[in-house]
This record gives sequence, C-alpha cells and structure tokens, in this order.
Amino acid sequence: MENRASSQKRVMLIDDNDIDLKINSKIITLSGLFQHITMCRSGEEAIKYLQRNLNEPGLLPDFILLDIQMPEMDGFEFLEHYKLLDERFINKCILAILSSTLDYGDIKRAEANPYVSRLIKKPLYLNELKEICSHYLFKND
Amino acid sequence: MSSSTIRVLYIDDEENNLHAFKAGFRRQYEIYTAISAAEGLKILDNVPIHVIIADQKMPQMTGVEFFKSIITSHPDPTRILLTGYTDIEALADAINHGDIYRYIQKPWNDLELHNSIKNAFDAYMSKINLRNKISELEKTNDELNRFIYSISHELRAPLVSVIGIINLVKMEGLFNSSGEYWKLIETCSNKLEYYIQKTLQYYKNNKSAAENSEIDFKTLVPELVELHSFSDKETHFSIDIKQDVKYYGDAFRIEVILGNLISNAIKYQKVGAVDKSVSIAIDVTQEAADIAITDNGVGILNEHLEKIFSQFFKSKYHHGSGLGLFIVKEALNKINGRISVMSDMGSGTTFKITIPNGKQS
Repeated sequence: MENRASSQKRVMLIDDNDIDLKINSKIITLSGLFQHITMCRSGEEAIKYLQRNLNEPGLLPDFILLDIQMPEMDGFEFLEHYKLLDERFINKCILAILSSTLDYGDIKRAEANPYVSRLIKKPLYLNELKEICSHYLFKND
Repeated sequence: MSSSTIRVLYIDDEENNLHAFKAGFRRQYEIYTAISAAEGLKILDNVPIHVIIADQKMPQMTGVEFFKSIITSHPDPTRILLTGYTDIEALADAINHGDIYRYIQKPWNDLELHNSIKNAFDAYMSKINLRNKISELEKTNDELNRFIYSISHELRAPLVSVIGIINLVKMEGLFNSSGEYWKLIETCSNKLEYYIQKTLQYYKNNKSAAENSEIDFKTLVPELVELHSFSDKETHFSIDIKQDVKYYGDAFRIEVILGNLISNAIKYQKVGAVDKSVSIAIDVTQEAADIAITDNGVGILNEHLEKIFSQFFKSKYHHGSGLGLFIVKEALNKINGRISVMSDMGSGTTFKITIPNGKQS
C-alpha cells in the first residue's frame, strides 16, 4: 500500500442505502486510496456538510461518489445544488455517479451532466476505483 | 349498452317537421327537438346526446354551419344532415368540415331514417368504446413502464448489493472459507442479474422506435469486447474493422446485438482449451455493415441451428438462458438486419450479420 501521508485524500459517499455505504466504504478502505471517508445518507446531508466546510479545505472531499436513486433529493437534484457551491471547490473535486441503474434515461442524463466525470455501475470494483482515481486524482503523483 | 336508450336531437326550423319526427320515432328513441341551432346547442350542453340530426336550410345558421361550430365542443355525437334539395356545395362542405356521418334527403323515409339513426348510434358507441380501450391501454402501458423502471432499480439494487458483498468476501480472502457456498451464491446472483438485463433489453427493443445515430465500429467493438471479456480473460480476440465511410444506425440495438454475440462467443468456448479465440471482422460500406463473428468454441448441433433464435431454446449441455440469440434476432428485425449462422460441432461457430447503413437523415 502506498503512503500518501503528504497528500491526505478524502472521499465522500452519498447513498441512502446503508448496506451499499458499508460495502463501498469497505472497498475504499481496502484500496488504501483515501485516508478519510465521509458518509452521507442523503443529498441534503451532503450539501449541508459541503456548505458548512467550504472554508475548511482540509475537510472537503477530493472525490465524491453519488447515488442517483434516493428519496426526496435524488442524485440529479443534488447536482443542481452542488453546482452552486464555491467554484474553487467544484473545480478541484472529482464527482462520479455510482448507481445500479440500467435505465437509459438516467444513464444519458448522467453522461450529459458537466459536473459528472464518470458513471460507475454498482457494484463498485477495486480495479475500476483504482483506474478512475489514477486517471482523475493521482495523475501528478 | 346497445339496448339502452338512444338519445336523438333533431334541429329544424319547421315546427311541423319536428312534430312529425317526434310522432314517428318517440317509441324507439328518446327524442329532443330544437327549433334553431341556438336552442339545439343549449340541449347539447345539458343532455348527453348520441345522434344529432340537423336540417340544412335554416335561417341564421345552416345545418352544416351548426355542425362546424360544435366540432370541438361536442365531438362525440354522430351527425346526420337532412336536406330538402341537393346542394353539392353544402354537401361537400359538410363532409369536409362538419364530420357528417350520413346525408338524408327530405322528405325522409321512416325506415331509411330509422336505420340511419341506428347505424349512427353504433358509430357513436364504437367511437366511445375505442376511446375507452385506448385510455385503458395507455394506463396499462404506463404501469408496464413503471414496472420496468422498478425492475431496473428497486429489484436490481439489492441484487447488486449482494454481488458487491461477494466481491468484498473475495477481497478479504473469505471466498473459500465456507466450502462452496459463496461460489453458489455468486452463481445464482450472476444468473439473476443476467436475466434482469436480458429482460430489460428485450422490453426496450420492443418498445423504442429505431433511432439513427453515427456509429464508429472501431470504437464500439473494442469497448464491447472489453466489457464482456471482463470476467474471462482467457479468450483471445482479433478484431479487423474496415470503416472508411460514415455509418448511421440504431446504437442501442447494434450494441445489444454485438454484445450478445460477443458474450456467447466467450461463453461457449471449450472448457479447458488453451487456444480460445474469437475473431470479429466488420466491413462497412455506404450500403451496409457486414459483420462476421467467428469462434473456435463448442459449436452448435446441426439440428439445433434452426432453433437457436427462438425464445427459451436451450441446449441440454450448455446452460444458457435461451434469451440471448432470441433478443439478437428480435433486435435485427427492428432494424432490417439479417443474420445467418454456420457451425461445426466441436470446431466453432460463425455468425454473419448484415445491417443496412441508415445514412444521415
């Protein structure tokens, strides 16, 4: 496992499903790619967390994994709030959708959204996570 | 319904005609009469009328003008025009703009008018029945759409979690910790996942209209190979694509077709063979894309060749779903493609497909 003490990476998981939160955070832990995991059970919770910590760069995520199907605020609505956050943060943060959807409309909407770097289909696999992170997050390392 | 009362509205500016009509037909129908178009409209607004008979020649508003005026406000009642003289122009106007069902000459013949009213009522009923059927179908269709959507989300999400857990179990080195149980759970989960995907593909193929987008086979094919060989890296692929012209086609269906054939070519390899190989050759012209997918796998029994494209056909020895090739065939039908198959038992199979180039629309 690589030592990234110099660049502590944070990941945020947004998913209403506790089991998936558990599975995905476990995979992330096993990957050793991130030092901190912030788990949010709803889009609202995530937006609140981000707004609260906009001035604390150390607490903001470098990478967000966002589910689509969530009660009340779904993934797409979250993105509407997300894009209003401080530009300096959004420009730095990588956001991927992590969903079990096979719905064509959902997939097209996710691909079309300018704030979504990648659509990942559940289940999350270690190799895919590593590949995405090395592509978007650790390219300078 | 046909035995229920037929409500007829008769509009004529001659009182005598109204009386004569009422006297002649009141035993058969529920009759409403009006001395002018304005009065007729008032009745229409308050009574659900089935058949309207209007005299053509009336002061203020003619019969045809009246029918024209109610075309959007009262589209359902069937219209009969009554006229004492043959006025071709009025007639043409009535047919073209008034949605008139029958034209009857004055003085009327009771039997003819009676038959016309009966037929007009039948026409009214079929119109209403058709509309009810359509709204029923729309409702069923809506429900089906919601059901499909819930298959692709609600039913699939927990399954995907299970597959995620199995993945974790592997990562933590626990996969063989309980005999073969984890392996069995994995097999079942994958099978269920496969059925859900095929069901959605089949449904979507049936529902959606063919689209026409630009397709670059040189990008598409390697992507599909990568996707399907994800779980089996032993099969060697050789890909040869000649595409110098633009190709337009239905991206979803072409992906489904190639995806299923590629996944079959991997699935039906000989167990334990060391030289598993699949070759994909595509030649794109202005007219069509000719695709050949050849594997050196188990092959197909001669007597099975005709059956492989039918739904739920499975061979005894290889446990497929009986859906893959069926969906391929269905998708090809939708986009005017053709498929043929050649196979030698024990030495491999070649599928050849031709899909017309849709050009730019």
